[in-house]
Amino acid sequence: MVNEQGENRRDFLMLATGAVGAVGVAGAAWPFIKSMSPSADVLAQATTEVDISTLSEGQMITVPWQGKPVFILHRTQAQIDEAVKDDGQAMRDPEKDGDRIQKPEWLVVLALCTHLGCVPQPIGTGEYGGFLCPCHGTHYDTSGRIRKGPAPKNLPVPHYEFKDDSTLVIGKAIA
Amino acid sequence: MFKNIMAWVDERLPVSDLIKSQLTEYPAPKNLNYWWNFGSLALLVLVIQLATGIFLVMHYKPDAALAFDSVEHIMRDVNFGWLLRYMHANGASFFFIAVYIHILRGMYYGSYRKPREILWWFGIVIFFLLMGTAFMGYVLPWGQMSYWGAAVITNLMSAVPVVGEDLVIWVWGGFSVGDPTLNRFFSLHYLMPFLVTGMVVLHLWALHAVHSNNPDGIDLEKKDTIPFHPYYTVKDLYGVGVFLLIYCFFVFFAPNAFLEPDNYIEANPMQTPAHIVPEWYFLPFYAILRSIDFLGTFSKLAGVIAMIGSIAILFVLPFLDRSPARSFRYRPISKVLFWIFFVDCVILGWVGYNPSDAVVLGGIPIVYVGRAASAVYFGYFVLIWIITAFGIEKPKPQPKSL
Amino acid sequence: MTFNSLVKATALVLALATPQALLAGGAAAPLPTQDWEHKGMFGEFDNNQMKRGAQVTVEVCMGCHSVKYIKFDFLRQFGFTEQEVKDMAESQGQTKKSRMISSMSEEDAKDSFGVIPPDLSLMTKARKGYEDYTYAMLTGYLNEDESELINNAMEDDALSDSEIQSIAAKLHLNPDDPEKVKEVVTRIQNGENFNKYYPGNFFAMPQPLMADQVEYADGTKTDLHQLAKDTTAFLAWAAEPTLMERKSTGKGVLLYLILLTALLYAIKRRMWSKLH
Repeated sequence: MVNEQGENRRDFLMLATGAVGAVGVAGAAWPFIKSMSPSADVLAQATTEVDISTLSEGQMITVPWQGKPVFILHRTQAQIDEAVKDDGQAMRDPEKDGDRIQKPEWLVVLALCTHLGCVPQPIGTGEYGGFLCPCHGTHYDTSGRIRKGPAPKNLPVPHYEFKDDSTLVIGKAIA
Repeated sequence: MFKNIMAWVDERLPVSDLIKSQLTEYPAPKNLNYWWNFGSLALLVLVIQLATGIFLVMHYKPDAALAFDSVEHIMRDVNFGWLLRYMHANGASFFFIAVYIHILRGMYYGSYRKPREILWWFGIVIFFLLMGTAFMGYVLPWGQMSYWGAAVITNLMSAVPVVGEDLVIWVWGGFSVGDPTLNRFFSLHYLMPFLVTGMVVLHLWALHAVHSNNPDGIDLEKKDTIPFHPYYTVKDLYGVGVFLLIYCFFVFFAPNAFLEPDNYIEANPMQTPAHIVPEWYFLPFYAILRSIDFLGTFSKLAGVIAMIGSIAILFVLPFLDRSPARSFRYRPISKVLFWIFFVDCVILGWVGYNPSDAVVLGGIPIVYVGRAASAVYFGYFVLIWIITAFGIEKPKPQPKSL
Repeated sequence: MTFNSLVKATALVLALATPQALLAGGAAAPLPTQDWEHKGMFGEFDNNQMKRGAQVTVEVCMGCHSVKYIKFDFLRQFGFTEQEVKDMAESQGQTKKSRMISSMSEEDAKDSFGVIPPDLSLMTKARKGYEDYTYAMLTGYLNEDESELINNAMEDDALSDSEIQSIAAKLHLNPDDPEKVKEVVTRIQNGENFNKYYPGNFFAMPQPLMADQVEYADGTKTDLHQLAKDTTAFLAWAAEPTLMERKSTGKGVLLYLILLTALLYAIKRRMWSKLH
């Protein structure tokens, strides 16, 4: 574009100012965008600490983690054996039991059916000795793997670690 | 490619014509000084307030039990929440700084005179709306000043004859300022900026219909004008840079300079702070309100009328001023009156800031100062009328063109 | 009007404009000002000081006051270990993830002091004088000499002129108002808490900090001044934990705006110079 003085306005000064201005607009937008991300108090809830010392063999609890239910099952030897025995079976989402656990006696899975997000019923309600999702009849085994029904995937295993013998921490801390 | 798209759009919506007539070929006086920057600056602050406000609402809770905590949540937990809140809180002050300079510029250069009366009136309506918006916004953090400011100002409505008491209860939605009051103030604080925005559109429409006044206050010939773009877009942008520098200094390094410490104490209906003051931009009007205390039971109503009247009188200013010249550059007496008026507004602000029983200047009760300053305030408008309607002021010769 | 005369006029107006009623009626002495390391454009919180201030706050202040917007866990950012934070929380009967709430209930506090001790989270922002106010509240009580002077006064039920003069000078009272001085002396002798800087002087809070009341791990001396300063600095952090983020962002923003404004000014100059 040429103005009435016949000078090219797209010179260095204009370009530099335009570039600096664009950077400023982008920079000014950032705090607004970022303000919608989870706030510090929400992030502080990224992890849930659970006392598992009171959980006897065969017992299961549901704990809330990041607003979602998590099953913590203290598996009996029979339940462990059943899960390992089926490792070779044909499955929709093949996974070895050993890859889904850290300690064989503790199963920790996100309790949201991978079909449409219902919460499955407790251990022992479904075939294969596992969990039955009541909404559309999905059966998960004692390792939380999909064995029968419409769900496409196994119950996901959240990040967790054993802080000590009696404390399980679910989730990763976000700084 | 771009040309084709524009041609397609222009056939359906004449965007190019609008840009041409209102921007690139819109004639602006070539002698506008930097006081003319404050219109665009006020618009800038309006945009800042709308943007920060919309994002603050995502975290704020309009509930008497939660409001104060939610503001601290914004300050501490929300990412850049402190920035949004400090921008918004200081934005209110800078809005009034810009608007006051804009109004005073209009008064000094006679921008309210024929044919710009309607433009001027829209401006006053915007000013009224801004005051309402700012007042309700100040209530939302639900600190001690929020609460007691709301209590004192809403109580003014009890001065209305006959229905006053019922009116106050209606405004509160209860027997005192409380949760229902906070809720409705929040609703209105969100609504009124959109009314302001609508009025700004009308204000600009009226401006572009009659075109800008100029420091000489004369009607300009074509040769005295330059296209708004790029000359005034770049000058306005430069002004934006300077303004943002000052504004950001306060936001980042003195964010509480305009705020009262008491507002960091949560509202307590059982205890009034020792010294209630409104925000600085209301102080002159607050002083006028309190100056009328000598009329017995009628004082309260008279004070309210005087306070509203002090702004409403701006509506008739175009008809009070009968001078053949618009700009005070060519009006020696008006110029002196203007500066007296300006200093008087500062004095009123200072009176409004001090407790009503203070004694100043070696023994004068401050309320006397307030009365005198209020008289001077209204006196300005009367004198402008007298000196112009009766030909007392002889304007200096004005140029025919620039 | 020249710049100089403008400055002089402004100074004169300000001098005249100070309302005397406030000075005469307010009673309390003007707040002494301190140097605060976290103030000013380049001020920063000092981690060691934060640790010390947090220690005093938890061990002393939290006997009655809460700091409800801060969680014990947050203190780890100053270098406290998880165990130390846990211990501090447990001293108030809390867990490390809970807010810093005093173990004293509001009802008990009200029974003891007649008022509910205010939460300290925003204290340094919520009073005129800010940090200096908090510091003055912590240090404004009578020292030993002053207490002795007061306790020995009025033995024969009357104050001598010289007693009035010396007491008024020490306590920042008006020496021309002997009745007021006498009333103050009587109330102090009756066990009320006198603070030189508190508006109205008589304060529900008994002297909270004494020298050597805590022992600092880093060996810093623990006189009253140091304790009060550390505590106030910590409370200033508690009032606005985002202060450092604000200032560092601000420096970048201002530098950016200076550059942008300079560029815009250059363009404006160039464009307008061709007009004339």
